[in-house]
Amino acid sequence: MNRRNILKSIALGAASAAVGVGGLIPASVRAANQPLKLALMAPMSGPAAFFGQACKNCAALAIDEINARGGVLGRSLELLVGDAGAAPSESAQTALRLWKRDKAEVFVGSHDSAVRTALESLFRGQVPYFYTPMYEGGDCANGTFFVGETPAQQLTPVIPWLSAQHQIKRWFLIGNDYIWPRKSNEVAKKAIQGAGATVVGEEYVPFDVDNFDAVLGKIRDSKADAVFITLVGGSAVTFNRSFASFGLSDKMIRFGTMIEENSLIGIGASNARNLYSASGFFSTPTATSAQFLERYHKQFGASAVLSSIGESTYEGILMYDAMARKANSVSIGELTKASNGASYKGPRGVVTMKSRNVTADIFLAKASGARYDIVKTFSQLGSAETCAGGAGAG
Amino acid sequence: MRAERVRVDVMLLSYFLNLGYACAALALTTIGLAIVFGLLGVLNMAHGEFIMLGAYSVVVVQRLGLPALLAIPVAIVVCAVVGWVVERLLVRPLYQRPFDTLLATWGVSILLREGVVALFGKGYQDVTGADGASIDVLGTPYPAFRLAMMLAVALAFAGLAAWYSRSQTGARIRGMVANPLLAKAAGINTTRLACGTFITGVVLAGLAGVLLAPIVRVEPYMGLDYLLNSFFVLVVGGLGSLLGLAVGTFVIGGTQVAVSSFIDQTSGYTAVLILSIYFLWSRPNGLIARR
Amino acid sequence: MASSRAVETSLQVATAAILLSLPLWAGDYSANQVGLLLLYGMATQSVALCWGNSGFLPLGQSLFFGLGAYVSAFVLRSAGAAGGEWQIILLPLAIAVPAALAYAIGFIVFARRIDSGPFFSLITLALCMLAFLLANQWSSVTGGFNGLTDIPDLPMTDRYGNLYYVISAAAVGVTALVTWLNRRPIGTLWAAISENEDRLQFFGFATHKLKAAAFGLSGAIAGLGGALYAPHEGLVGPQAVGVALSAQFVIWAAVGGKRSPLGAQLGAVVIGLLAATWRDLFTYWEVLVALIFIGVVRLFPDGLAGAAAALAQMAGLRVANPIPEKRIDAHDIATIVLRPAQSTLLSFRSVEVSQGGVNILNGLDLEVGAGGVNCFIGPNGAGKTSTFNAMTGRLPVRSGEIHFRGTEISSSQAWQVARLGVGRKFQIPSVFAQLSVNENLQIALWANRIRPREMLTAAPLHWNSLQRVRTLEKFEFLESNMAVRAGDLSQGMRQMLEFAMVAITEPRLLLLDEPCAGLSAHETRHMMDAITSTVGELDASAIVIEHDMSALEKIADNVVVLHQGRSLAVGSLAQIKISEDVKAVYTGGRK
Repeated sequence: MNRRNILKSIALGAASAAVGVGGLIPASVRAANQPLKLALMAPMSGPAAFFGQACKNCAALAIDEINARGGVLGRSLELLVGDAGAAPSESAQTALRLWKRDKAEVFVGSHDSAVRTALESLFRGQVPYFYTPMYEGGDCANGTFFVGETPAQQLTPVIPWLSAQHQIKRWFLIGNDYIWPRKSNEVAKKAIQGAGATVVGEEYVPFDVDNFDAVLGKIRDSKADAVFITLVGGSAVTFNRSFASFGLSDKMIRFGTMIEENSLIGIGASNARNLYSASGFFSTPTATSAQFLERYHKQFGASAVLSSIGESTYEGILMYDAMARKANSVSIGELTKASNGASYKGPRGVVTMKSRNVTADIFLAKASGARYDIVKTFSQLGSAETCAGGAGAG
Repeated sequence: MRAERVRVDVMLLSYFLNLGYACAALALTTIGLAIVFGLLGVLNMAHGEFIMLGAYSVVVVQRLGLPALLAIPVAIVVCAVVGWVVERLLVRPLYQRPFDTLLATWGVSILLREGVVALFGKGYQDVTGADGASIDVLGTPYPAFRLAMMLAVALAFAGLAAWYSRSQTGARIRGMVANPLLAKAAGINTTRLACGTFITGVVLAGLAGVLLAPIVRVEPYMGLDYLLNSFFVLVVGGLGSLLGLAVGTFVIGGTQVAVSSFIDQTSGYTAVLILSIYFLWSRPNGLIARR
Repeated sequence: MASSRAVETSLQVATAAILLSLPLWAGDYSANQVGLLLLYGMATQSVALCWGNSGFLPLGQSLFFGLGAYVSAFVLRSAGAAGGEWQIILLPLAIAVPAALAYAIGFIVFARRIDSGPFFSLITLALCMLAFLLANQWSSVTGGFNGLTDIPDLPMTDRYGNLYYVISAAAVGVTALVTWLNRRPIGTLWAAISENEDRLQFFGFATHKLKAAAFGLSGAIAGLGGALYAPHEGLVGPQAVGVALSAQFVIWAAVGGKRSPLGAQLGAVVIGLLAATWRDLFTYWEVLVALIFIGVVRLFPDGLAGAAAALAQMAGLRVANPIPEKRIDAHDIATIVLRPAQSTLLSFRSVEVSQGGVNILNGLDLEVGAGGVNCFIGPNGAGKTSTFNAMTGRLPVRSGEIHFRGTEISSSQAWQVARLGVGRKFQIPSVFAQLSVNENLQIALWANRIRPREMLTAAPLHWNSLQRVRTLEKFEFLESNMAVRAGDLSQGMRQMLEFAMVAITEPRLLLLDEPCAGLSAHETRHMMDAITSTVGELDASAIVIEHDMSALEKIADNVVVLHQGRSLAVGSLAQIKISEDVKAVYTGGRK
């Protein structure tokens, strides 16, 4: 809390003492003193727990900065953390507690889509909910605002550019068997055809598989020029290691959209040749992200790994702040009405909300050791989503 | 015509290489549980975590800049110590009570995972050693490390089979497993023998982790998949004999590779489950029953 | 001193009162949280029903929980348009479908083999994994990874309000139902299965049907939990049929107490609440949970409920189940009507049995007539016990025929042979060690007599029969030891108890394998008298394997000498004694 706030509270306190009863003070004035509770739902346990810590760090960083400039509409933000790494029912229970018992007024979530569906089912559009990581698109639940990359952004301009750069005529698609890879492949197939190339194989694997030899054989026999990878988590790591061990790294390009820095470490520098990734954020400093990264590493250590999924939490909170300022309110109805056109400049550059998704820059990067080198920037890509921005609370 | 024939041959060859690797990996990760569950009746839910300990031994050794082979003694020592503690405190009172050991070792698996998280963090670790060097096998390139691993596994199993069937200790173990009371009466120190057998089982799991670390992903949750696969291999093949382990490995590994190659990975996974259910139902003692 | 039943009932009533009134004193958020845990608690109770009561452990119980949830989600979503009545009418499907599936699985698996080893657990685990795969893949029906969403409320309820009362009422109901069943004959039979299933088969019980019934009931209970889970959460995803959830049910059952329905329920609630609280306080909360598991297994094998019971015993509360005072007469045995009794009761014709390359029975021919006591004698390894095993389905017969009362039984199972009127007493006394003497005798009285519907009534607990009265007169120690656990009796008493149980089943043929092994001289005479008088009272026949000549002299009407899997000599004891063949092969000894 800064001096202005303290003075304000003293003044109000004196005034209320003078008037006698706190109930005579209008609610809006009273509320100005109360901290604004922001609930972060991130995986703090379970297989995705690695990201939870990064999300928490970014949330803390964002909140410190916003509070330093006066908070959101004069109210300082207070961080509450809920574990979204448990099953969707348990995560929804945690969210319910943070909402009804602990009085959180806004939710920022960075977790998988099953938990997101559970939370949307819980909130029913009654509380602002910012879903920050990259996702499959096609979700227009009331009250949810998306700041993450959509397949349209990561693929539609990127695939033709890659195809042209490397003369790619044949693509093989491999992903885990759930909605995000399937939707991504739908978009990818259109982009591939638009670029004049063909799809020579498409396969989906369950999460538990850790032996990819059979599908690698198919990939090799298909004589593909490039492989589009929508595997997540451990599958991505094992697949890429096996891919390289079969000597395929020098024969084909690999392109993935969720092979972030932590997975890259697991894959190993020697196994990551000719591996590309498209995302809104990489841990390699750019003109817009250098300062942010410096602050992050100063506070959390030089070796702390930060990737798009963790950093998206920071973006989500900045977007909330921007929308609140534009709407001059934190109620869900006002926020929704004002969402179109809300904009800020952050580590990802200029980010603008449209149809409850964002228009932002996308970076294509090539793996180099345990980091990514950005090779091309695609400016201000639209999300291709068409969610209604004007509907109020349900 | 000729080109097609060559292509079919290449496909067949790579199919057999994949089969060999899948079976080797499966046998390698199951032998530890075959000893602990098959011989001692301990449903060791922490089996996968001992494999994880072996994998992390390699991480430690590589971080310290020491030669990778040093990971073998490190893994042996770590797994032996942890195994001894677990056997002494938890398993010893619970022999031949599979359901109780299930719960106790489930707790151990959580403790081991959390311990590794505390020491190494939750992220992935990179273990070098299997990077791309490949050998030409009859015209098809195949990763050299995997070939070396398959060879090592085959030799180790042959050695283990010979030792178990010919040595005195092997005979004592077989006696203890068949009739513990009689073995005690015959002067065999069954407590120490069982402890040694348990430790051997978990050490073998750790060594499996060492061999696999350069190939698979290394993170605290890596052990769970191995546990489930190993149970299915054992119960289909039959508990208590190396032959049963071999048969189970070929049935499960072969099905997985065959169906995955000709259809897709999801069907491969499904086929393994359906086959396991069928064998569990029709041959509850496994294909090679101990009795 | 309170009986354990009264204590158990009062605990359940107290818990019910607390649960049903929870929203009033703990608030709506806690009610929502506890509601979910009570639903999980029902699935936990279903695991405990199988594991603690009947002796087999299902590792994939979320299959039924999740199936109930998905069916309930369908019904509520599709029938929602048609109106609330349709939702209520179709909702019981969410319980019936998992129950039917569980019964079918149990029947198919248990019919194969009598024990309940890890293979059953792994089959249920594999089925659960398949269901998870299916739920993920079949997106058009199950909604795939994200699941079925927008599930409406249960008619006339609000999920953040009065749905809790429906859930808690169901939970209390399930606890009461399982407790009630445990106090009925079927509860005793389930306990006997977990004790010594092999023995129970020899009393004519088709144990695979009993176990399948237990599994079916557990499927229904888990399905009920799932049916209410769907409207409570508003969405159902593949996690509801996942392996992680199944593992949780097992762990909660173990920690709460697998032998106690109340314990299992509270295990789920208490551990669930602890985990939810610790999750936010410590980073390493899972370590605490793991330490609890380990502690429970090492120190309290029956979970917290078992620990509470142990404490109660230390505090002086006796844990005895009441012995019924009033007796009513049992109805007649439902023997299978056979062809009219022939003079030859039992015949073996060229029977061959071999195991592991060894010929145990080498073309055995023998005949046992109706009435009287026949004794089988012969050196060790002659095949005496093996003839018993071959005719009661415990050894596979390679060739030859065995006829009992005109029916061919060489490929019959033990319970089928028992139903024909064969009673068997084992060499090493085989009774239900954890059950009381009274319960052991009850099971014997129910053999071949109790009808499936009667297993759910209290009347059979009070049955008495003429043979039971006579048997109790013969073995006076039984009456004074009714409440004692059978396993606490001495070896000799257990021998006599087992014989008493066989006598009470009123068999036509008694197979007695060394009934005097381990008995003192006095007890031996007592047993021999009991055998002769029982055979006379039942107008039955007996085959006795015995080595003691003085015993044989007292009771044997006919002697068969077996040697190397064949019949060597047949005749009266006097004839056998002077036979040169017999002398050459075997000499009996005096005690």
